[in-house]
Amino acid sequence: MKILIVEDEPSLSELIEREVRSEGYVTECARDYITAETKIVGYNYDCILLDISLPGGSGLELLSKLREMGRRENVIIISARDSVDDRVAGLELGADDYLPKPFHMTELIARIRSVLRRGRTGGSLTIDIGNVSLDPSSRRVNIGDRSIELLKKEFDILLYFMQRPDHLVDKVVLAEAVWGDYADESDNFQFVYAQIKNLRRKLEAAGADIEIRSIYGFGYKLTLKAE
Amino acid sequence: MKLSRRIALILTLALIPIMVLWAALFFFAVEREVVDETDDALEEYAELIITRYNDGRVLPALNSGGKNIYTLTPISDEEARHIPREEYYDKEVYIPEHDDTEPARVLSTVFRDKEGRYLHLEVAMPTIEKDDLVATVLTWSVVLFGVLLIAVVVVSMLVFRGALRPLYALLKWLDGYKPGEGHQPVPNETNIKEFRRLNEAADSAVKRSEAMVESQKQFIANASHELQTPLAVIGNRVEHIIDHTSPNEEQLEELVKIQQSLRHSVRLNRTLLQLMRIDSGEVAESEDVDIVTLIRECVENCSEVYEAKAIECAMHLPEHFELRMNETLARTTVINLVKNAYVYSPAGGTVTITLDDRRLTVANAGDAALDSARVFDRFYTRTTREGSTGLGLAIVKAVADHYGFKVSYAFTNHRHTFTVEF
Repeated sequence: MKILIVEDEPSLSELIEREVRSEGYVTECARDYITAETKIVGYNYDCILLDISLPGGSGLELLSKLREMGRRENVIIISARDSVDDRVAGLELGADDYLPKPFHMTELIARIRSVLRRGRTGGSLTIDIGNVSLDPSSRRVNIGDRSIELLKKEFDILLYFMQRPDHLVDKVVLAEAVWGDYADESDNFQFVYAQIKNLRRKLEAAGADIEIRSIYGFGYKLTLKAE
Repeated sequence: MKLSRRIALILTLALIPIMVLWAALFFFAVEREVVDETDDALEEYAELIITRYNDGRVLPALNSGGKNIYTLTPISDEEARHIPREEYYDKEVYIPEHDDTEPARVLSTVFRDKEGRYLHLEVAMPTIEKDDLVATVLTWSVVLFGVLLIAVVVVSMLVFRGALRPLYALLKWLDGYKPGEGHQPVPNETNIKEFRRLNEAADSAVKRSEAMVESQKQFIANASHELQTPLAVIGNRVEHIIDHTSPNEEQLEELVKIQQSLRHSVRLNRTLLQLMRIDSGEVAESEDVDIVTLIRECVENCSEVYEAKAIECAMHLPEHFELRMNETLARTTVINLVKNAYVYSPAGGTVTITLDDRRLTVANAGDAALDSARVFDRFYTRTTREGSTGLGLAIVKAVADHYGFKVSYAFTNHRHTFTVEF
């Protein structure tokens, strides 16, 4: 799997490269429009991470160039220009996903996996870890071949963890990710503990081979159960 | 003091002494003329008497009912030498007819008859008529100059008001001007050079300040924008350390705290950007948003998140209330108001949400009133709270301004009450 990273900010580019490589992908980097164009014209990639504002041109132009050439590369736009117009323009030009900066690397990796899988399976977007399979669009969770019922917040929490397996998630981060703006001024996280407790109970009861482990006092991690 | 009043006052103060002096000079000139005329008449009369006397003709009868009186007395040479040849003066003269003395103008002269004897002639004319005349002149001077003064002041006021109309137009325009909210062009329908220049100066000053506000906004937007990537980079590096370097518990705790502060910066930055977008009118399209549904959803989430505070929520809502606005902004507004109430309400308190008659009020208990002039200002915070950006109410205000809603704050019965009138 070869991934082209088109990003002009050196530090961010380096981080993305390191992260993507650690996932076992092969990477190439382009820091400006001309380099990116040359690479796109000359080689094939499985996925292109595309920044919109680039020295020498716009990522959107690259995108339309790709489409003109009839190429079917998966493209994830990563842009700091978090405006609805950009998002719409990008997706209309055939980008597969849009990730506004600033983003978490785990988020990016999850998106890359997702678009690559979609490319292979032709549309299914499920996230699978162990015997747990989660479909974000239909909001269904299967454990083995049994479907389990989760409440809205429980589902959101599980989705967040499944996008970040083996990754430490701070309870505050989790609260903000699931409850959004409501949680950012809270100083009591009882509501998070309660939801996690229920979710754990449901996973356990359904015989899932993943678990949400508490890490010290402040975080959680989704891991495969040790045999 | 209005400029017109001040000018009227100055004009009056300056004109009064001039008018008084003018009237006085005029009066004295007239009086002098009257005296001269009287003297001339007396002289003629004296000449008439002398001629008649010398010709031996009949003299006018004494006190013949006429206006003039005279006395003719022979005097010695010695006396003649002491009496001036001709002298005018005022004197009380006895008028036999009235059996009284009256003020009169007198001409005293000495002449010699054919025999060479000296005769002293005193011709007198009562000055009552002259006094009348003088009084009339005085009255009319006062009246006329008074009227003139009033006329001058009134006319100059009218002229002044008329001439200053462009100035009042400019003032009205300036009153209506709010910086940073775009502006109507300065009215410049005058052909008076000074006012044209004043209007042009006002116009260019406003344009400059608009440009400055604009560049400041742009600066904040750019700064927030530029901060996004480095913030993301820091976050991801911290994440990398957490996930790949097996830190111990103490290190991990510090790293998580760094992440929290970082998230706060990111949120602050994002909110600032959002605020800037709303301010500059960059708002995505509107749709019909049911505010009641939003409120219910928001209350449900807040009750969950702030469950530990055991806050009760009393809602007085209609079935539906739809507004045509951007959904994200409607949500942000409702969340900020309701969340604020939950955050700042004491534990076990009651949050009241009322929506009726296009008016949404959210109230919670509190100890002391907030500074109502500043409560919607950016970074106005009641307490330093972890996680608070101090921009929540500023966003509410910005959204309200964008859609022409009215937001207000009141503190009554120990309850903070925020009201939005749609």
